[in-house]
Amino acid sequence: MAIDPRQLSRLIFDPSLTFLNKTRTLFEFQVGNNPVYRRFAKHYISTGKLPESVGEIPLLPIRAFKECDLITDGSVQELTFKSSGTGNMNRSRHHVADLEIYRQSIFREFSRHFNSTDYTLLCYAPGYSDNPDSSLLWMLQYLVDQDEQGLSRFLPLNQPLKQSDLDEAVQHDRQIILFGAAFGLLDLLDLDSHVLPDGSHIVETGGMKTHRREMSKSELRKRLSEGFDITQNHIHSEYGMCELMSQLYAIGGEWFDTPGWVHASVRDPDDPGRMLDPGVEGKVAIIDLANIYSCPFILTEDKGVMNEKGQLAILGRWHSAALRGCNFLIDRD
Amino acid sequence: MIISNMDHKIDELQKAIDEWLSPDNYRLKDAIDKTVNEGLFSFEDIKYQILALKKTLKKGEFNRWAKYSGAGSAIGKQRLTVLSLHAGNLPLVGIQDILAVVLSNHHYLGKLSRKDPYLPETLLEILKKRGLIDGKWSVQLENLTGGKGRADALLFSGSTESVDPVIDALKQYNLADSTTPKLVRTAHYSIALIEDDRPLTFRQLADAVLRYGGSGCRSVAMVVAPFGLKNKKCEFTDYVEEFWLKNPQHKKPAPSLYHRYAYNSALGVEQSWLDDFMIEETDLQPAESFILHWIEGDRETLRELVQKYKHSLQTIYVTDPDSKLPDGLPAPEMLSDAQQPPIWWRPDGVDPLKWLGNLSSVHGK
Repeated sequence: MAIDPRQLSRLIFDPSLTFLNKTRTLFEFQVGNNPVYRRFAKHYISTGKLPESVGEIPLLPIRAFKECDLITDGSVQELTFKSSGTGNMNRSRHHVADLEIYRQSIFREFSRHFNSTDYTLLCYAPGYSDNPDSSLLWMLQYLVDQDEQGLSRFLPLNQPLKQSDLDEAVQHDRQIILFGAAFGLLDLLDLDSHVLPDGSHIVETGGMKTHRREMSKSELRKRLSEGFDITQNHIHSEYGMCELMSQLYAIGGEWFDTPGWVHASVRDPDDPGRMLDPGVEGKVAIIDLANIYSCPFILTEDKGVMNEKGQLAILGRWHSAALRGCNFLIDRD
Repeated sequence: MIISNMDHKIDELQKAIDEWLSPDNYRLKDAIDKTVNEGLFSFEDIKYQILALKKTLKKGEFNRWAKYSGAGSAIGKQRLTVLSLHAGNLPLVGIQDILAVVLSNHHYLGKLSRKDPYLPETLLEILKKRGLIDGKWSVQLENLTGGKGRADALLFSGSTESVDPVIDALKQYNLADSTTPKLVRTAHYSIALIEDDRPLTFRQLADAVLRYGGSGCRSVAMVVAPFGLKNKKCEFTDYVEEFWLKNPQHKKPAPSLYHRYAYNSALGVEQSWLDDFMIEETDLQPAESFILHWIEGDRETLRELVQKYKHSLQTIYVTDPDSKLPDGLPAPEMLSDAQQPPIWWRPDGVDPLKWLGNLSSVHGK
């Protein structure tokens, strides 16, 4: 029986269903309607068969978003998000056939961690109108728009955070969430920004192409904590990308939790079908059921590690150690 | 006492090589047996390398190398300690660096690869016995400490990402630091231009691609051909099978290769699955092992690819000695020489002997 796509958007957020059940339904939908995924998956799972476990799902390399148009048959894109990049760089393209799913995914996961009525969002990032290809800016704009009091907003770029930027939120007895790319927030500190009021939070959204040297996450957290005078427990990270309709948050630390409709694992780069044990570094695999109409089953090029609680830490980009050719590496005993 | 006269040194080096490659060298035979028995390399790969070295390690070639690199004039200047970190992707891959240290008259410290620990040692022992080299070598860095200790220069091959971890490890043993002059070779694959489909061309291509499982930096990972893969894959596969019958592939690809095959298949990329190797018709940068990238094109296509990948590309090969390549390309080599280069070849365009000689001059000032 053909799957009704309209039911899928309800199904993925339904907490009464197991993740495996939802995943199997989406696998069936993808194989039936996504020609790229169908041709890929048939090398691993015979036609008509369903995966027995989440680990059995064939994971499409993320570069597919750069190299082809991933959209299920019969779907029409409302919007296309593109990864950052300039000029002739090959950028990922994520065709979004149902923005309502993106809205729900954003709001549900954000609300799981922050009660939106208690907060004012200050976003240190270009406005969405300046970069309509950006899924991150779309997300921030959407969250800003959800503020019924209208206090949330984008901050002007290249200007320090001033007392006056904070006053309104404080007067309305709302806590501040400062959102921004990691190095953008450091720039804000360099501009001699005002410290944040007590109880404020920072959400850093990951790296940004910049002249700054690479910095460890713990160093970043320390500098943000000292610079904005807030406890490290109130410094959080968001993991998202143009290829995903969902976001992961690391609350007060470096370990990311997954929303109920997302499964994260770390895979053996030599054998992407093999999930690695907690503590072992590998490539990050994400099953994001909100990617109904593109492809939910993705092997990223990020390096990560899981912990015993099923949380994920992102360790940067995966650099292939197995380069062909003469390659001296200090042997490990 | 180390021999410092260049003519005398080359005479003695030739004798050392003859002794090392002699059929009566039971130390070498034992090293080959151990290497094969421990599964480090196949007998066929070692045999091929030994035969190639027999052909290329000749007095005339040493003279030529010394002359072109100006090594003779460097001798007698300050003797420095050169730490050579040997890779282990092919049997005896670090031999050029060892001989460069011999001819430049420096003191040798060798970190042998755990993947090739026995074969180089048999040569080093003979060189030491004949007064051609002094110093020490080991598979463990800690065994290189003490004595002449800290290195004045480093020789190694690796990716740019590997440089910092290597320096960190050397710092740990006080063998070198980030200021130590280093010659790092980063190129990791080569490209071939073929312009016909003669059996000889395909045989040479199969050898250049598949020898040592394609793991050498001189191995061909990209081929530019006037015909598409679709038209020639059956024919070329015959030569691949012919090669493998004589030289079974020692190392097998990881399951990630099949993952790539499945992905290519999903995108409709023309490709050929050979179980232990794969050919795909893409001009993507060769990063993974066991893949030949096939590109339909001509000399102009070659020029574009060389321009695009110049930082990771080792050598350009052609089959026609009179090939006139577009301006601006490095001088090509013959495809037939891909896996048996002359001892004076220049990895990453740098002659290690000349580099060591210049180092001597700088320190001698």
